[in-house]
Amino acid sequence: MERSIYAESFALDVTAKDRLDTRRKIKYESELDKTFSNRIAESAHGEQLFGCIQCGTCSAACPVSHYMDYTPRKIIQMVREGFKEEVLKSSTVWLCASCYACTVECPKGIKITDVMYALKREAISGNYYPKNAPASILANNFFKQVLNNGRNSEGPLLMKMYLKTNPFMLLKNMMLGIKLFTRGRISMKTEKIRDKKALKKLLNSVESKKKILSAGKPADVKEAAV
Amino acid sequence: MSENNIKMNGNGTHKSAGTPKIGFYVCHCGHNIASQVDVEDVQKFAAGLPGVTISRDYKYMCSDPGQELIQKDIKELGLNRIVVASCSPLLHEHTFRKAAEKAGLNPYFFHMVNIRENVSWVHDNRESATKKAKDLTRAAIQRVFFHKPLEKKSVPINPDVLIVGGGIAGITAALTIANAGKHVYLVEREPTIGGHMAMFDKTFPTLDCAACILTPKMSSVKAHPNITLWTYSEVEKVEGFVGNYKVQVKRKPRYVIEELCVGCMECIDACIYKEAKYPDEFNQKLSKRKPIYIPFPQATPQVVLFDPETCIDFKSHRCKKTCIESCDRKAIDLKQVPEYKDINVGTVILSTGFKTYNAELSPQYGYGKYPNVYTSLEIERLVNASGPTSGEIVTRDGIKPKSVGIIHCVGSRDQKAHKWCSKVCCMYSLKLAHLIKEHTDAEVYNFYIDMRTPGKGYEEFYDKLMTEGVHFVRGRVAEVSDWALVPEEENKLTIRVEDTMVGMVRRIPVDMVVLAVGLEPREDAGDMRRLFNISCSNEGWFLERHPKLAPVNTFTDGIFIAGACQGPKDIPDSVAQAGAAAAEVLSLISAGSIELEPNTAFITEDNCSGCKSCIPICPYTAISYNEGTKKAYINEALCKGCGTCVAACPSGSITQNLFDDEEIFSEIDGLLKFAGIELEETEAEHA
Repeated sequence: MERSIYAESFALDVTAKDRLDTRRKIKYESELDKTFSNRIAESAHGEQLFGCIQCGTCSAACPVSHYMDYTPRKIIQMVREGFKEEVLKSSTVWLCASCYACTVECPKGIKITDVMYALKREAISGNYYPKNAPASILANNFFKQVLNNGRNSEGPLLMKMYLKTNPFMLLKNMMLGIKLFTRGRISMKTEKIRDKKALKKLLNSVESKKKILSAGKPADVKEAAV
Repeated sequence: MSENNIKMNGNGTHKSAGTPKIGFYVCHCGHNIASQVDVEDVQKFAAGLPGVTISRDYKYMCSDPGQELIQKDIKELGLNRIVVASCSPLLHEHTFRKAAEKAGLNPYFFHMVNIRENVSWVHDNRESATKKAKDLTRAAIQRVFFHKPLEKKSVPINPDVLIVGGGIAGITAALTIANAGKHVYLVEREPTIGGHMAMFDKTFPTLDCAACILTPKMSSVKAHPNITLWTYSEVEKVEGFVGNYKVQVKRKPRYVIEELCVGCMECIDACIYKEAKYPDEFNQKLSKRKPIYIPFPQATPQVVLFDPETCIDFKSHRCKKTCIESCDRKAIDLKQVPEYKDINVGTVILSTGFKTYNAELSPQYGYGKYPNVYTSLEIERLVNASGPTSGEIVTRDGIKPKSVGIIHCVGSRDQKAHKWCSKVCCMYSLKLAHLIKEHTDAEVYNFYIDMRTPGKGYEEFYDKLMTEGVHFVRGRVAEVSDWALVPEEENKLTIRVEDTMVGMVRRIPVDMVVLAVGLEPREDAGDMRRLFNISCSNEGWFLERHPKLAPVNTFTDGIFIAGACQGPKDIPDSVAQAGAAAAEVLSLISAGSIELEPNTAFITEDNCSGCKSCIPICPYTAISYNEGTKKAYINEALCKGCGTCVAACPSGSITQNLFDDEEIFSEIDGLLKFAGIELEETEAEHA
């Protein structure tokens, strides 16, 4: 979004550690994405998202909310009001452990965990996600593996994740790995389904359906803001 | 006043003569009293006091067996004084007086000691609580020695009813009472009945059309044989007391003879002003009217009226009077003068309603400064099909808004304006949000502090609105301004608010701002209060006798309140309260007469010097001055027994039944004995 001279005069970009952070934090309507909420609601099969009464049950029920930069409640309101940048860059989405506690407790029946999945997808497709965070690396490799082989193989997946994030962790957990390996709980073999072609076909047809569906939609931010 | 309306009850003779034989009863009240007060000890203590014939304790004195115990003792032991130590007289004095009366004793030989609210509930030391209970008991036993038999007075109730204010509350009450066959005078200040509800387009949460449900009621008021409808009228004077009020009503001149006018509106077309040029009050000044007008199409009565402020003939007497020529029925009379009507009624219902907060007093929202800042009442008229734009929502520039901000709590929950929550604004804001969204498909923002939607179907309505794509931003708007900081704010009104749910300050540019103004008492509520001799709360709302158990009664018998004059209320609540007020009125009328408590003050005429010092201090205007005898006179029907005049009388010529000097002094004497203080013989016997 192009900022005008009006706004520039208010934006003092001082980031040095020993100085006060006086960056402009006010939110202009033009910085918001008005179609964001609908997009998320659609892919998280939930128009209930708009029925959120901001009670905070989700945040209180969440076992990892105390590590998040925005609590799940805040995420829902920010999605609703179109704070796309903040939401997609937030740690919340990647810290979500998918335990579904929030979804179970929500008095308005909002599928919050599904909203988090939708946000992960948005973040990846919009290239917002933290590329070196274990959660996103794991998710990415998991997805690639299933896409290629039609099945998840834990051994190779773990190896990849450790090598890409912190190889020392591999050494630390080696003894556990050997124990699991000797008892047959984990394998280093890459599992495959028999008919990979059929899977490709299936996924391609889903992709093309998606494209047809999203065709006639006003996805352009500028257009909507005017 | 009507002295002869008061008649004596009963035969006047009582077995009060002879030495006092006092029965004392102390109640355990389950654990309420017994847990903090040693009731057996109190019972033994009372048994030893002079004059006490029998002293008992019982688990629940107010129960049937408890009451029967008293009655049995009165009959078998010949008791002639009863003292019960239990709860507050507010709760059970009536019960025990009835019980004593049933046993043939004058009920005023009974006295009650409150050892629950005044002792057990407020003390945590059992020993001293018991001691205090004993002292109070001794005081009561000493007092009851001097009790005298008193008679209740009864006054007849005039079955005619006055209702002041013809909004939905007044209309409902009038129809209910009139349908019961009683005559109602409905007095309305404005030229039409209907009140605020007539201005609304839809009603929440059902979204049914306000006019469709209101106008049938308005026309049945007009057509009802038992209702005398006086619009454009005001109550001037009120005298009298419950059952017998004399009221004077001023009928302001409309300059049109109401009986002749059929509302054809030929005169309006014929007016010398071809264009309407004066602001229309009913449309919140969003449109213009002529000097001769009718407030709205369904106005009841369907009668035109003149505004003498703007009519040329009233100003210069030089108008061609085309209106008069156009009227076939000769209904226009420019020489009309105010008419005063004197009526007698037994009961009164006040349903004078509310007014909305003046948004100009909150300058941060720019009302009166920016043309596209509206009050909610103005928007009600804009969305209304009979309103200034025939239901089109457009800004003052005539443009359909693309974004609208609704600011809640304007003038409410604000120490600088009104402390209270106006109760209806959240719901009407949701309704307006829905209507604006429906009419214009604009982005609608609600800025609220808390969303308060208690009520049947209300929360569901809120839920529906949220899924309709209306924005809800929790945060009180700091300011509305036309100062653009970014290009998209140019030519818009920008709302600056903290979205407290996100934790960020936002600037939201909108085309139209709606201020959800709160409800406040009418500016002349104080005058009404004095006129009808009722009370107002600190905020200026009419005060009910009890907030829970007597919500439509006032402290003046025979005067009832209904609707938003008592406090902010929506339509269902107003209608329910109007029904309750009507039921109270009908119950008085059905009883035919009302019994008055005999604890009133009276004047010993021989001692009265006629100084008149008691007259202005009486809060119930019960005292008048008799020019003939040069003495003050207390109307027992109006006296509430507050005792103010008794204390103020310099010659000591006013006495109050049940509170005469010997009763009070002996009570004090009994109370102070614990400290070894004895009142001087002369003072105790006083008299």
